[in-house]
Parts: sequence; C-alpha cells; structure tokens
Amino acid sequence: MRYELKDKPDFTIVHVDFEAPGEQILVESSAMVARAGGVGMQTQMKGGLLAAAKRKMLGGESIFQNTFTSTEAGQDLWLAPGPEGDVEVLELDGSSPVMLSSGAFLASAPSVNLDTKWAGSRGFFSGQGLFLLKAEGTGPLFFASYGGIHAVDVGPAGYICDTSHIVGFTGGLSYDVTKVGGLKSLFFSGEGLVCRFTGHGRLWIATRNPGALASFLEPYRRVERGSN
Amino acid sequence: MEVEIAYRPAHAMARVVLERDESIVAESGAMVGMSTNVQMQVQSGGLMKGLERMFGGESFFRNTFTASGGAGEVLLAHSLCGDMVAMEMTPTGYFVQSSAYIASTPNVNLDTKVGGFKTFFAGEGVFVLEATAAAAGKLVVGAFGGIQELSCDGNLVIDTGHLVAWDANLEYTVGKSGSGWIASFLSGEGLVCHFHGQGRIWIQTRNPAEYGTTVGRMLPPKKR
Repeated sequence: MRYELKDKPDFTIVHVDFEAPGEQILVESSAMVARAGGVGMQTQMKGGLLAAAKRKMLGGESIFQNTFTSTEAGQDLWLAPGPEGDVEVLELDGSSPVMLSSGAFLASAPSVNLDTKWAGSRGFFSGQGLFLLKAEGTGPLFFASYGGIHAVDVGPAGYICDTSHIVGFTGGLSYDVTKVGGLKSLFFSGEGLVCRFTGHGRLWIATRNPGALASFLEPYRRVERGSN
Repeated sequence: MEVEIAYRPAHAMARVVLERDESIVAESGAMVGMSTNVQMQVQSGGLMKGLERMFGGESFFRNTFTASGGAGEVLLAHSLCGDMVAMEMTPTGYFVQSSAYIASTPNVNLDTKVGGFKTFFAGEGVFVLEATAAAAGKLVVGAFGGIQELSCDGNLVIDTGHLVAWDANLEYTVGKSGSGWIASFLSGEGLVCHFHGQGRIWIQTRNPAEYGTTVGRMLPPKKR
C-alpha cells in the first residue's frame, strides 16, 4: 500500500494506492471520498459492541468503522476528514503508542490496534473529553485536525499546550492538566486550562480550534420565540 | 524577539521566540502553546481600561507572556480561519480594527478609540485600537481570510467589515457607501471607511459578519 497526502495543509486529502489484492485499511465512518470499483467495504464495530460503544461515548469516534479491501493491485481510495484542515500520517513501528484526542482519528492499517484510554479525572476539567484514543502496533496511522497541525518535539524542558488545541502525542509523553498563571488567570485570562507535557516525544498541536468558530457563530443564530 | 508566521494563509499561527526576560502581550485566548519557562500574567490595566476594551469587542483582559530563566517560545493564533501579519512599529503607529489585534511587544501602547457615532450602528469594526510606540516594536494582527496590503494615495473607500489595520497618519471617516442612505442600503455595501492621505491599509479578504450571517441562518434557531 502506498499513500500520498495532497492539497496540504488547508484541505488535505489522502490518496491510497493498493499494491496487492487483499490489502486493507481501517477508516473512520464517513471519511471515504472516492474509491475504485473493485475496492470492497465492510462496516463493523471494531472490537465488538462494547469496545465500539466505549470508543463512541468516550473517545468521540464513531461506533462504526469501515474496512476497505482491495481485490487487485492498482486500485485506489481517497479519504478526507470532515472539517477543513490538515492530515498527518505516522508510520508506527511498534516501539511507542500514539495518543489521539477525540475525533482526530482518520484511518489506520489493520495492524494498528485502537483502544480508548481513560485519561483520568484530571481530564475532566480539560473540556476536551475524558478519553484519548490509544493507537499502537505497526503501520500507518492517519490523523486530522481543524486548522494546521504543528509538531513540537518535546525535550527535557517539557511543553505547555492549550487543551482544546491538542491533536495527539507519542506515548513517551505524559501530561497534567493545570492552569496557567495564578488563580486570577484561570478566570480572567481566557486561556482556561492547559496540558503540561513532560517526558520525551512529539506533540501535535492544532493551529485552530473548532470551538472558537462555534462561539463566533453562536450570536448569528436566529432567535425563535416560544409558542406559549 | 523573533516572530515567525507559519501555516499561512488559511490557518496562520505565530511562533514568538523570546529571549530571556523578554515579554509579549497577547489578546486573551490567543495562546495555543508555549515553553514551560514562559510565565503568563493577566493585565487588565484597571477597570476602566478593561471595560473600554470589552466595549471594543476585545476581551477585558490581555495576557503578558515572559520567558524566565532562559529563552522560550509562545505560539499564538487567531480564533477564526485566516492569515496573520507581524508588523514593525513605525513612528506614526497604526490603527487596528479591534478584533484583529493578536499581540504586541510590551512597549506598544494600545488605546481603544470609538470610531464615531455612526459606526456604533454598523455592528462591525465599531472600535479601533491605536497602537503607538516610542521605539522599535512589533504588532501582530490576524485576519479572517487572506490579507492584502493596499496603498492609499489620495482617497480609498473600504468596507468596514474588511478592515484589518492602517497607518495612523491616514485620515478616516466612517460613512455610507453611496450618495444616499437608500442607495447605500440597497447596494448591500453598508458602511464604508473613507480614507484620505498617503499610507498603507491592510484588508481581510473575507468579512466575518457576512460569514456569520450566511452560516448563522442555517443553524437551528435559539429558543427563547
């Protein structure tokens, strides 16, 4: 399987070329844009009902994921996330897992195992959802974000990131949800809570967050008077 | 201090590299990420200043980010999709449409100005900030859409919803686009800014209020 990311970074689309019959890719529900006629699609709840429900409720992914299987070499498949923005791909080598924030998962090789990880009660206040999707195994992992994706190589000094801008990070990093500045800052700075990363690894940050767009649009909604 | 703008033009983000003890002042909520040795402090500059800012469509507070004990970086972004520009402060200074302001060096003085009685009803770019500095400094602004730098030589008319910033030596008045109020209203051009003089004007290629109106209509209505 070969792949290429096109129209980076604003409207990235993934073009997958299958090189042999029987090759497969697991894709987030509704991410398929186009596929060759010979590429088959199976819809499943990966890991069974319970695991799928857990992913949906906790990790923000859909209950169903689709597996696309080629029937011969030379067939292709196009994938894109819902919002405008970038897609990144990472070749997992089995040495370290990758944590993705809610909704960032786009596609992966079937040899990549996906599991919802309890981020602990500290995640509760982050407004980011309690759970992260843990991807481990070998093969390509595609993830997407609203806006651009900025990679930061976190060293011994650590790094701080606004919770609503985290796309994902490698397993070598651990984090704490904290506030920036003093108590006054928590309420008045508009920066809310941040994740303080420590350890060694890579962190992917989104340059925009969809919540800010939603807050911008909210005042433009029409107002409907109640019928009573 | 170095300001580097990446991911242009649709999702631009500024990476501000601070030397030890250097600071940058940023709009509340603009911080995306930063080094762990960067300290954030809230500054409101007093109740009146804060209130003035709030009426200007900005937030009540601004934050100061300072690198302590060594160099550090801060990542700053606009909330809407679009480009950003880092401008060098000039002796004349700039006027900035208030919601376009992202960040500035601490020596830049920011003063909220009311753009006149008429603009109050425009619902867009009502307030502007006057940014001035006695010495070299930087100002970072963000736009909705792309940014174009226009040069005004004489007269220029610009839709208020597309304004980002302009050289402070330009004279400006806010008014109607056509010759009469009815024609102006029917033209859909609403309020415009009439510029006079010589200087640069930065415009945004999309109008946030237009966008909000277009998309807002399609959203489920709020129940009251």
